[in-house]
Amino acid sequence: MILSFFDQFMSPTWLGVPLIALALTLPWIMYPTPSSRWLNNRLLTLQGWFINRFTQQLLLPLNLPGHKWALIFTSLMIFLITLNLLGLLPYTFTPTTQLSLNMGLALPLWLATVIIGLRNQPTAALGHLLPEGTPTLLIPVLIIIETISLFIRPLALGVRLTANLTAGHLLIQLIATAVFVLLPLMPAVAILTATVLFLLTLLEVAVAMIQAYVFVLLLSLYLQENI
Amino acid sequence: MPQLNPAPWFAILVFSWLIFLTVIPPKILNHTFNNEPTTMSAEKSKPQSWNWPWS
Repeated sequence: MILSFFDQFMSPTWLGVPLIALALTLPWIMYPTPSSRWLNNRLLTLQGWFINRFTQQLLLPLNLPGHKWALIFTSLMIFLITLNLLGLLPYTFTPTTQLSLNMGLALPLWLATVIIGLRNQPTAALGHLLPEGTPTLLIPVLIIIETISLFIRPLALGVRLTANLTAGHLLIQLIATAVFVLLPLMPAVAILTATVLFLLTLLEVAVAMIQAYVFVLLLSLYLQENI
Repeated sequence: MPQLNPAPWFAILVFSWLIFLTVIPPKILNHTFNNEPTTMSAEKSKPQSWNWPWS
């Protein structure tokens, strides 16, 4: 069997067990469920701060009906940022590189915002298809363009996350292979490449967090338009 | 590209939503925050008169 660099993204199985199930189930052990006791330890305090501040920050631009979505947005953020960051460890599998997971999250949530908008305020929701101050002749063209951009949103949302994480993991694997191959031949170049690999890994940590945040932020913006 | 392999698509989708809906929200909801910050409202609540219940 010829291995290609894309094989790291195949959903891994071991002895018939799909390991993606483990990758999706086990990370939540790192988030202990708080009891009714007021006394927290360091980990719970930090997680509580993060959840509290994140929810407050995300809900700032939303009006009151939008605050119903607070729990689902924060859950989504915790879900994505944990999976992304844990995937950067060696020998782990990142479930968010799977298109099925990301599209499965993006499409229903986007559709929910659109349906809410069309049910509660159909005129305003359809009004988003025509920006203010459009010259009269351009109206038909612009409505078509805006409709296309509306329908491409879930696709972009899902594919953005998938592509960013896949590209990052692929780059890490490529450069790591390069370091490994170069080590016996040209050690100096190998050391330089290893420096590049280190910097890339730092970038990927940032990308992991930013992409999770962007996903949730965009969904909150789509909600803001429609609620 | 292995992500386009249709075989585990539905299973991954269902399982991820299952975890997303059942495991994570209870963990987040259990984080309670005491010491609610006071809302800055323009109206001041009337000072309630307090008297010793001489009895």
